[in-house]
Amino acid sequence: MSLLRYSAWRVTQALPVLVGIIAITFFLANQIPGDPVEIMLGPTPAQEQVEAIQAKYGLDRPAHERFITYLTGVATGDLGTSIYYDRPVLEMIILRLPVTLVLMLSAFAFAIITAIPLGVISAKRRNEPADHVSRIVSLIGVSTPSFWIGLVLIIVFAFHLGWFPARGLVLPWADPADVRGAATRFEVLRQAAHHLFLPMIALGTLQMAQITRIERSSMVDSLQGEYVKLARAYGVPESTIVRKHAFQVAQLPVITIVGLGLSTALGGAVLTETVFEIQGMGRLIITAINNQDYELIMGTTFMFGVAYVVGVIITDIAYAYLDPRVTYGDE
Amino acid sequence: MTEPLLSVENLKTQFFTEDGTVRAVDGISFDVHEGEIVGLVGESGAGKSVATSSILRLVESPGEVVDGEITFKGETLFGLEEGPDGEPQPSEEMLSEEEMRDDIRGNEIAIIFQDPMESLNPVFTVGGQLREFIELNRDLSTKEAEQEAIDMLREVGIPDPENRYDEYPHQFSGGMRQRVLIAMALACQPDLIIADEPTTALDVTVEGQILELVEELQEKYGTAFIWVTHDMSVVAEICDRVNVMYLGEIIEQADVDDLFYDTKHPYTQALLDSMPRPDETVEELNPIKGVMPEAINPPSGCRFHSRCPEAREVCTRVHPEPRTVAEGAVADADAPTEAAVADAATDDGERPHTVACVKYDAFDVGYDSSEPLETEATGGFSAGLTDTGGEADD
Amino acid sequence: MALGNTDTDDVPAEGADGPDEGAGEVEARVGMRYTLAQVKRDTTARIGIYIVGFITAVALFASIDYYILDYAIAEAILYDPESDPDTVRRLLPPFGMENQFGQGVLEHPLGTDHRGRDIFTRLLYGTRVAMTVGFMATTIGLVGGTLIGAVSGYYGGWIDDVLQRATETVYAIPFLVLVIAFMTAFGRDLRFAMIGVGITAIPVFNRLIRSRVVSIREEDYIEAARAAGVKDRNIILRHIIPNSFAPVLVQATLQVGVSILIVAGLSFLGFGAQPPTPSWGQMLSVSRGYMLPAPTFSVWPGLAILITVVGFNILGDGLQDALDPRINN
Repeated sequence: MSLLRYSAWRVTQALPVLVGIIAITFFLANQIPGDPVEIMLGPTPAQEQVEAIQAKYGLDRPAHERFITYLTGVATGDLGTSIYYDRPVLEMIILRLPVTLVLMLSAFAFAIITAIPLGVISAKRRNEPADHVSRIVSLIGVSTPSFWIGLVLIIVFAFHLGWFPARGLVLPWADPADVRGAATRFEVLRQAAHHLFLPMIALGTLQMAQITRIERSSMVDSLQGEYVKLARAYGVPESTIVRKHAFQVAQLPVITIVGLGLSTALGGAVLTETVFEIQGMGRLIITAINNQDYELIMGTTFMFGVAYVVGVIITDIAYAYLDPRVTYGDE
Repeated sequence: MTEPLLSVENLKTQFFTEDGTVRAVDGISFDVHEGEIVGLVGESGAGKSVATSSILRLVESPGEVVDGEITFKGETLFGLEEGPDGEPQPSEEMLSEEEMRDDIRGNEIAIIFQDPMESLNPVFTVGGQLREFIELNRDLSTKEAEQEAIDMLREVGIPDPENRYDEYPHQFSGGMRQRVLIAMALACQPDLIIADEPTTALDVTVEGQILELVEELQEKYGTAFIWVTHDMSVVAEICDRVNVMYLGEIIEQADVDDLFYDTKHPYTQALLDSMPRPDETVEELNPIKGVMPEAINPPSGCRFHSRCPEAREVCTRVHPEPRTVAEGAVADADAPTEAAVADAATDDGERPHTVACVKYDAFDVGYDSSEPLETEATGGFSAGLTDTGGEADD
Repeated sequence: MALGNTDTDDVPAEGADGPDEGAGEVEARVGMRYTLAQVKRDTTARIGIYIVGFITAVALFASIDYYILDYAIAEAILYDPESDPDTVRRLLPPFGMENQFGQGVLEHPLGTDHRGRDIFTRLLYGTRVAMTVGFMATTIGLVGGTLIGAVSGYYGGWIDDVLQRATETVYAIPFLVLVIAFMTAFGRDLRFAMIGVGITAIPVFNRLIRSRVVSIREEDYIEAARAAGVKDRNIILRHIIPNSFAPVLVQATLQVGVSILIVAGLSFLGFGAQPPTPSWGQMLSVSRGYMLPAPTFSVWPGLAILITVVGFNILGDGLQDALDPRINN
């Protein structure tokens, strides 16, 4: 099977999971106490108003019927309407998703770029000072709440030193006219980077620490591999062995951990967006919950699930691409 | 006789572990001449693989070559001299790490490892790995190296080498992978190939095929081999000369026929008794009793005495160094007792058959008058001793 | 891997799975006493034991004082961790420091919070929430995951398929989001935080147990038990689960730390322990409003979380090293 067909197969395989996610979110949203109609209309609404609203949002029909309706809606790209914003849920998501994606991607970029060298050096210099430092850093990294890192970064780098802004985010593709203090594209980019820096570190530290740990143990294993001994016995320089022979094999578990880390990072994005007051998906779901906005809660939860599933598929495909042993699922 | 290709003198490699020093290789000496296959035989843990890694200076921490001299084609792969502070330091002639890497490993001495499943890198193509090592060890362009790799794959009997060149190791069977590793070793055109139990992980039919292939190619290319194995039948099949190792020491050294038909050391005998032989009909196989002691704390005296059917009290006290012993001095009392040659290497004519066992007169430590010892092998009876009885009287 | 990465199951490079890798080799060394002896030999793991032991002791003490004595001890030797004090000195800095609200005093070594309560006392009493949640959530995940994993792995077939697809689906929703949605549906207090975090831990233990069960199922002694007519349920309970003790212990230790982190995050967002109950996450949440005038207020609860989770992590790592001789430092 080709990589392309494998990818397609992988996507179809994820469909039942997506339906499952919808079922769970639908179930949970239906358990939410309190009446959204009441929230919209106040405590003593007129009866006909209530009925009109119920009919409009389909609240008068039994749950399984509404589930089917919702499912067909999702299939056709209709995630319902946000009661709070009075706009289609999909529209809100399209507005907020890029913000979260930029945050996530930069956090993972930061994590991978710092973690891989740290892990490799740690493995190569096992039990030497460099290894101890790297291990302590990654231990603290996996043990620290990301939102607290955010708070400390704000206190030190925004309030105390004033190097970075404490809140908000500028999208790199934003129109210069909409960005305060930016006249050119370059200035927009500069502001985007400036705003992104602290949240990126806050969100990326945990990933960085986890990747460093797995990179280290994976490289340690790989460096003890028979193929490394063979390469040494054939006179391959040690630097080539580390960079090529041992490294490539060692990246396979790292890819897996990056995929699993997506779940933590998406959750972490909710916290990071709260700390830095960034209007992304994380804030959207909190707003939805605080306002008991059913369809927005379902829509955002579903999108978080989709983001994770897509991320895992991407890492799976990357794995299949890098590991020739993956049989592409045909047996 | 000409200068040996490889000469190992009194090699000692030790592992410095938390629990103490493991003397994995404890003063072994042997030679390899051009174009011959030299066996290194013994049970697992005897130090065979450590010995071969020591030759290439690939012993990994906490292991270290601590003494001895290894010369290969006149170059000193390992050698010590006394430093200004009286401590031994690497001698001036000893090749640097870079010289070992660039001039010796691969292009002069190649190696074939035990486990063909693990020895090839799973994420690179078989051809790519071959080509890389060929390019590194021979003056060939990438294109030429690729052609050489394909030719070599064909040479070792891999069908359709052009296409298999681009396949990954997991697409090859164990036997095929071992063929690839043999191709790799030969393609670098070394003068010596160290084969570290290359057929142990394979099943018997494949083993046979591989041995045949090696014999054929060895004749064609004239490469010398050090063949590490625990299997006496493999030794019988392909080796010219054999070194039997026990607990880090070589206890018997002989040409292959002498070893099989004029076996001197009780351990060698035990090894032979434990394998089926096409040339002799035996009632039943007789496995070696007991387990090899740990090299961290070897038995005193002769290290084999704890498992030796012929052990006597003196064996626990006297540690024998290998030497040539008189022809049939023990087995046949009527044979003319030649004067025992104390020292091993007499480099003219026949290569010596040396053995490290005090039961031979050459050692003259009073074996005959010593009390028989109960060991794991005698099982509480001294039957083993009386069987071989009829020792020559002084 | 969450989404049935079944096609890569034959790849040996699954080191990513943490403690369940190499699980097969530790059979002979699973004895509790052996494990403890190994852990004690390791200095770092010992530090882990000390930290976890200390925090547990403080949490027990705080629980007794809270449930039985209604903060009598706290008031006697420290301060009431919940009620506002009579003499309000808000947002004092730690002892030896100074801010716009005044000079730090020795009675409040870490300063006071926005209502004048002693931060040190609240930190100590915050251990109760952290540890309760950490242990309870882990227990829920452990029990649920073990049951599902054991049944799934032992019976295989469609039971396995259904259970595994279900846990994968739960795993596919980022767990903080899932717990938030769960708590929105059922209740925002601490009980549901524990249950919610526990549910998200189920897939972790499920995966661990299932893979072990699948490998153990074919072992000779299980075959023998089956041939001898031992009931399936008894085989699972008496043989398979005890045999998976070692990797589960490692995972559970690490999971306590993870749960504490998640619950702290939940409290930070306003889900979980509600004021005035002292909890670290909720303290951090409040401290956000005072980062400029009283920055140290934000530091202490975070440090408390960090130290506690570090304790569990190094203890877990130490256990793993002790149980899996392959990865010795």
